[in-house]
Amino acid sequence: MAELAARTRRQLGARSGIWALVALAAAALLGAVVMTRPSLPAAPDLARILESILLWHSLMPRAVTALICGAALGLAGMLFQRVLRNPIADASTLGIASGAQLALTIASAYAPALIAFSREGVAQVGALAAVVLVLGLNWRRGLDPMTVVLSGMVVSLVAAAASATVILAKGEYVLSLFIWGAGSLNQQSWDAVLALAPRLALSAVAATLLMRPLTLLGLDEDIARGLGLTLHAARLAVLGLAIWLAASVTAEVGVIGFVGLAAPALARELGARTPRQMLLAAPALGAMLLSITDSAVQLLGSGFNDLAPTGAATALIGGPLLLWLMRRVPPTQSPQAVDTSWRPDRQARSLVSLVPLAGLILAVATLGLVLGRGPQGWGWATGTLFWDLLPFRGPRLAAAGAAGALLGAAGCLMQRLTANPLAGPEVLGVSSGGGVGLLLALTFLPTGSFAVLAGIAGGSLAVLIVMLVFAARPSIGPQRLLLAGIAMGALCMAVVSTAMAQGDLRAYLLLVWLSGSTNRAGEIEAWTGLMACIALVVPLLLAIRWLDLLPLGEATSRSLGLPVERSRLCLAAMAALATAVASLLVGPLSLIGLIAPHLARVAGFAGSRDQLLAAILIGCGVMILADWLARLVVFPYQVPVGLFAALIGGPYLIWLLNRGGARNG
Amino acid sequence: MIDHTGHPTRRGALALIGAAGMPWPAHAASLRVATVDWSVLETLVALGCPPVAAPELRQFREIAVEPAVPEEVTDLGLRGTVNFELLLLSRPELILSSSFYVASEPRLRHIAPVESFSVYAPGRPPYDPAVAMTQAIGARLGVAAAAERYIAETEAQFAVLRERLKPLAARAVIPVNLGDARHFRVFGDDSLFGEVLKRLGLANAWTDHTSYSAMAPIGLEALVRVPEAHIALIPPVPPGAMEILARSSFWNALPNLREGRLLRIGSINPYGGLPAARRFARLLTEAMIAAEAARG
Repeated sequence: MAELAARTRRQLGARSGIWALVALAAAALLGAVVMTRPSLPAAPDLARILESILLWHSLMPRAVTALICGAALGLAGMLFQRVLRNPIADASTLGIASGAQLALTIASAYAPALIAFSREGVAQVGALAAVVLVLGLNWRRGLDPMTVVLSGMVVSLVAAAASATVILAKGEYVLSLFIWGAGSLNQQSWDAVLALAPRLALSAVAATLLMRPLTLLGLDEDIARGLGLTLHAARLAVLGLAIWLAASVTAEVGVIGFVGLAAPALARELGARTPRQMLLAAPALGAMLLSITDSAVQLLGSGFNDLAPTGAATALIGGPLLLWLMRRVPPTQSPQAVDTSWRPDRQARSLVSLVPLAGLILAVATLGLVLGRGPQGWGWATGTLFWDLLPFRGPRLAAAGAAGALLGAAGCLMQRLTANPLAGPEVLGVSSGGGVGLLLALTFLPTGSFAVLAGIAGGSLAVLIVMLVFAARPSIGPQRLLLAGIAMGALCMAVVSTAMAQGDLRAYLLLVWLSGSTNRAGEIEAWTGLMACIALVVPLLLAIRWLDLLPLGEATSRSLGLPVERSRLCLAAMAALATAVASLLVGPLSLIGLIAPHLARVAGFAGSRDQLLAAILIGCGVMILADWLARLVVFPYQVPVGLFAALIGGPYLIWLLNRGGARNG
Repeated sequence: MIDHTGHPTRRGALALIGAAGMPWPAHAASLRVATVDWSVLETLVALGCPPVAAPELRQFREIAVEPAVPEEVTDLGLRGTVNFELLLLSRPELILSSSFYVASEPRLRHIAPVESFSVYAPGRPPYDPAVAMTQAIGARLGVAAAAERYIAETEAQFAVLRERLKPLAARAVIPVNLGDARHFRVFGDDSLFGEVLKRLGLANAWTDHTSYSAMAPIGLEALVRVPEAHIALIPPVPPGAMEILARSSFWNALPNLREGRLLRIGSINPYGGLPAARRFARLLTEAMIAAEAARG
């Protein structure tokens, strides 16, 4: 024991050089920012006054704010990781930041008085709601690290789609909300410092007092309980502290992603082991990390324009970092530990029961084609009117249905492939890649409907290829593939939100895509969707055996003669392609791919083939229904269908997961 | 400047007729026209030919304010997701669109012939394209004389306002939108506001490059670069932002603020046509003269 401590101390000594170097770099960059500040075109007297205003009311508070926010995020990240025993937990991966953002977006659009009253309070409520949701989804599953982060990212994505919708409906707030969303550290007063410094100090003291529980939380639950720790109370106290701190930072400066992830990880790399060491090292590294990033965006920008909002820049660094950290995530789900709820129910239904389902979809589709609202209120479209409206209602319905079917299939594949019930096509990163492609097309191609299509398709395909190259590596398990997808998605969304912060016409087109709408679907989109359905679903039916065996785990599958790597790669490619086509049709963020397979299972379709077909049909049906409702509820205004589907399916999914969890113990 | 996406040959023919000074076909004036773009909408209303349908009228009445859109015009829903069914049921004979909505054009063409204008394009000042659009709409709808009159009126109004502003013209103006209490969006030389300033004989204090009309987000501290300028604050102002700024020592230390050069003007659509340009010119002049009077 003593020897171990001595070794740790030696290591820390050897690493102190690195610490000094990092601190020096942060100081040097800050010095460079102050030295290179632009000169002011004014009379010498006035210029001197302005110079001092600029230095003391803007540059200095900004530098201090960066340090304090970084430290606060580092501390919060370290607490999250410890209490959830999850090396990739962070305010951004738990959905806290997005939850706070959504709450502020809704409040600024619909209840500005609330924002004026307490911006802080609104953000805290949103953050808390997001965490409760994420942890609620996972509580009964023992807060498995991968699944917690997975659901955190799903919650983030849905919150982003909902924010985009609100902003679209309240067009003129685009600018303010996206600056906030991208996280910017510009300051003109010491207000943020005065607000955050006491909280940081208070939290540090509280964390020190919680040191004993923190240490024990690292242990096994049984041992901890045996040592007399009321586990739940301690966990909740630490968790509450971390949420409060992270939400405070988010309310002051917006979403600063991944600092809370990076700081504790780097602290461990630099030799910090015990909670006491971490308590010092993580905030210190967080502060320096954010300070360096913030100085860099100022130096790389021109004049007073930063290169990018600091929050987006941290996400650009954080995405790759998440990939790198993955190797540290313990393989919690041993191959045999398949989610118990996957066991076939005894009263499994046969394929014949799909027939009424198909009939139901046909009925909904027919209703969608003939019943609608017009200037004179509700009306049945018959005769000439029907044929007049068909070129609009038809392609739209076909595109929605095809997208739903593709997402249902992709979701089913992903969940079977990873044996993770919270896997979904949205987290593959492929659809977010479409956003980056769209951005590039809008910037470099002449505007036109071709540019939009080519951009989304090109971007999705590029990310798809990266993911496949990644998936082809033999050491990559399905869980890591998912996480890589999340990291990729976060990276792409950071690029997209930086562009949206510009508040120009491109931002508007990106928003329309992000919120997801079938409104523009025409013949091309409809045929693309239908062809993709045929081309992707039929081969899947030939791969049923793979789907049956893969969830049994790698060893079992291999012993049954399955070419594990190859089949996995094939299925991942199919899922990604289906996702890419679907995101082209209905935007990146519907939850159908996640929900449809669960609905299929609850309905009693348990075997791979039955579940796949049922998920495809259910995805198709729900999407058609959502599309029809989306164009009717606030006529003539329309709700984006992807979001509408998420709003229908999301709450149901949460109820379902908790119920299922309870039943299976 | 004008994209001949609809019927190039017919448009060409019309232009020839126009050039020859021949009378317009009588039926053109009663053409049922619809639009999906706000700058077209305000131009149509200003020329006395309101469309049968146009998008997002609730927001238009709040943000663009004038010209007043008649109650009979059908609201087509959000600009991002125009309700095509309703547009079809409005039975337009011509749809006027803009480069903003290129992705929707194939759908629009199903309903009626489409003609598209491009007033806003990266790196190109929008005033001349807005004039050209007004002329083209006038020509297409058989109200060419009204269009020319409107353009002439606009120029005349600018001339009058330029005279009134002469004593104040030494000071530059920086047109901004507040993003929140810490950032702004600035409109450069290639924006509608920049173009109007030029025509009023005022300098735009923001001389840096902007792409696509505006540059954002810029930290509020950049205002120290333009201590002499009038700050033209264009709505919407985010909730709570002014209250925070009122307490900010930085904001209150700015010479612009101390010397009463913050101009709060009414809401204007920054991506509008000539009517928006006229509204900005009028509101800005009124605000500058009022501020001058207040300073004494």
